[in-house]
Amino acid sequence: MANHQQAAFEQQPMWAGGRSPFNVSYGKLMMWLFLLSDAFTFSSLLVQYGAQRFSNVQSPIVTNWPDPAAIFNHFPFMHGLHLPLLFVSVMTFILILSSVTMVLAVEAGHRKSKKEVVRYMIYTIIGGAMFLGCQAWEWSVFIGEGATLYGNQFGITEAGQKVFGALGFGDHFEWQPEYRTAGPVPFAALFFIVTGFHGFHVFSGVIINVVVTIMAARGVFERRGHYEMIEKAGLYWHFVDLVWVFVFTFFYLI
Amino acid sequence: MEFYNKPGEYDAINYIPPAESHGTKELWRTFWILLGITVLDFIIYFVMPHTGFRNFIFIFFGIVKAYYIVGAFMHMKYEKVNLALVILVPTIFIIGLVMGLLYEGNALTYAK
Repeated sequence: MANHQQAAFEQQPMWAGGRSPFNVSYGKLMMWLFLLSDAFTFSSLLVQYGAQRFSNVQSPIVTNWPDPAAIFNHFPFMHGLHLPLLFVSVMTFILILSSVTMVLAVEAGHRKSKKEVVRYMIYTIIGGAMFLGCQAWEWSVFIGEGATLYGNQFGITEAGQKVFGALGFGDHFEWQPEYRTAGPVPFAALFFIVTGFHGFHVFSGVIINVVVTIMAARGVFERRGHYEMIEKAGLYWHFVDLVWVFVFTFFYLI
Repeated sequence: MEFYNKPGEYDAINYIPPAESHGTKELWRTFWILLGITVLDFIIYFVMPHTGFRNFIFIFFGIVKAYYIVGAFMHMKYEKVNLALVILVPTIFIIGLVMGLLYEGNALTYAK
């Protein structure tokens, strides 16, 4: 049946209509186009962030934009230690790992192995939930330190710069009120909007993954004869990972 | 849609091209590459002073990671060139737009 369909498919002229010139199904093509439009959405957020940040630049590097290393330097159960970038690297690792288990589920789907698909999908869901938990923790710490949508108390004074510049990785630190001053207003708002928008994508991705896992476990795709729905959910999940690569780069590294 | 559903013909809307497994070897290799680049990001962040060159390295690494995620995980390497162009050409243009607008964003410094 499948070979017969493929033979009939291949015989059609490519651009004469009636067949996909992309050799993918309708659903997968539409998922790709949705991801393209979503990439535009995130690009527009990135433009806004970049323009606000560039407008606070005095020279290419000297900027009064708050240094992420001075703010996102917490790690669970290690209170009072200066550990910049560590927690967000762990989050990145979790998301990359859940991407791998997702693609392993897709690969198992190609082999029509229902058991493996369900197992790897469950790993993926756990990874996504762990990422969301990490993000919730980071947000709660950030808000607890006084982040709001309307202001920015994360500018560093010269005294703070002096103390902060001398800190090594893992040193004890204690923020004092005289270290901080008002900074560029949209800093925290942009952080919440962009990571929140990404986190909402992760949240929707976890829900989509739960739905397709239940469908796979109940044998819906087995009866259908193919596991393409896993592939479509996988495309979305990898896109979420892809966006995180750039959020990680622009919000934490630079 | 009956036109396309004559017996012996294919079904243009519901046709699913057969998918084949390329094995898991490449996937794990991609995982190690992504993990390695992330670790490298982490090391460079602490070893190098904050310069424009360091920012350039981070953005370059981001693009390398994007290549591996889209190519291997999202299967773009094995898709037809037609599909790759439909997705990648607009993306390249939007990256150009982002870079252009960021460059122009510098002017906001003087607008204040």
